[in-house]
Amino acid sequence: MRRVLLVLLVLLALLGVSLGWSGWQARQALADFPGILSAYSAKEYCSCRFVMGFDPAYCRGYVKQWLPLGLLAENSAQRLVTAEGLGRRNQAAWQGARVGCRLLP
Amino acid sequence: MLDTLKALLATLSLAVAPAWAEDWPAPDWQTDPTPIDWQAVDAYAFPPDGSLRTDALLIIRDGRILHERYAAPTTASTAHLTWSVSKSVLATLLGVAQGEGRFQLQDPVARFYPPMQAHPQVRLGDLLHWASGLAWQEDYEYAPLHSSVVAMLYTRGREDMAAYTAARPAAQLPGQRFLYSSGDSNLLAAALRGMLDAGEYADYPWQALFTPLGINSAVWERDGAGSYVGSSYLYLTARDLARIGLLMQRDGRWRERQLVPATWVAFNRTPFALAEAVPGEANPGGHWWLNTASPGGARPWPHAPADTYAALGHWGQALYVLPTQKLVIVRYADDRGDSYQHDQLLERVLAALAGEGA
Repeated sequence: MRRVLLVLLVLLALLGVSLGWSGWQARQALADFPGILSAYSAKEYCSCRFVMGFDPAYCRGYVKQWLPLGLLAENSAQRLVTAEGLGRRNQAAWQGARVGCRLLP
Repeated sequence: MLDTLKALLATLSLAVAPAWAEDWPAPDWQTDPTPIDWQAVDAYAFPPDGSLRTDALLIIRDGRILHERYAAPTTASTAHLTWSVSKSVLATLLGVAQGEGRFQLQDPVARFYPPMQAHPQVRLGDLLHWASGLAWQEDYEYAPLHSSVVAMLYTRGREDMAAYTAARPAAQLPGQRFLYSSGDSNLLAAALRGMLDAGEYADYPWQALFTPLGINSAVWERDGAGSYVGSSYLYLTARDLARIGLLMQRDGRWRERQLVPATWVAFNRTPFALAEAVPGEANPGGHWWLNTASPGGARPWPHAPADTYAALGHWGQALYVLPTQKLVIVRYADDRGDSYQHDQLLERVLAALAGEGA
């Protein structure tokens, strides 16, 4: 699995260069890339559960991507969601009735 | 004499009727009991094979519900994510602010949002046309690696989305070219903050727009800096989004009150002259999407009238307004593909109404 991801990242890097990116932009995007999966999952799962009010099983399906997550866990009492994937961890939490969920720094 | 009086009364009632017979969802939507065959509409929107995943379909005519259907787990009380429909609602909210004299379209964005001093030529009207000229890549899931919107929402932009956008390099002169950008919308959301007194921002969408319309379901998420994510993160029930639609359909008036200037709605509905028509794609107006015909004469949605306009979002979210037909249509969905066709739905709705009473 890890090797597949490595190959994927190298391919994506080559694609980036071929699209005419500056090396700096490509490096920045590559550095950010592994965090997207867990950030997306944590944020949208949090909103699915605590803003739209859907059940956990539905919300798991709702955020499912083609890359698997290592962890997707909710703390219902604190309305806090933790997601892990591609070696990165992100958390989102419900902030209030009008403002819904937000990724934590 | 009696006949004359009768005729006079009939004339009077005709003249007066529209004023007091006008329906408003105050407090709740009323239903129009006219029997209409919705089979073809439902067959398209809710296909048994799941090729389209409509969560909600709500059809309103002249202020009354004609048809309403939900697919579990979405219900009439679900505040559903609207994705980029948020952008057009933000534009309507800005219409209230404009009516209050808080800004003009030609004002530089930097006047209200200082980080835009890096791009002093960009005006609020340019942002409303998605024509800031800032470099941007809007692709979502097909190009997550180099997508500006993914970076803005989930990685390096998420703490301050407007600042992330303002730090982009200029790729074009402002106001010259349409480039759909969620960053432009979030610059608008940050600029709104600068138009208000300290402490007014948190309540403003409610005080200015939602509460007067009787909207109780709104949730509008913010970034780490506290700015509303004007591009993407407004949640409303279908019935509440339809209130925005009815406000637009009635040119910014809500009951006796001109909440949004009619001139602002006209701006929303005016095509951005420098945008190039893309076949089958709605044309950008002032942060709303228009079915205006291209110079060649083709409308993006050929079966819908040319005055149709809409707020559109990712995965099939839509609010359509058909002013001549007095129709407001909300569709919420979770499509995950691009097979949904606005024109198909609108064609079937109009066909169902044409067969009314048949």
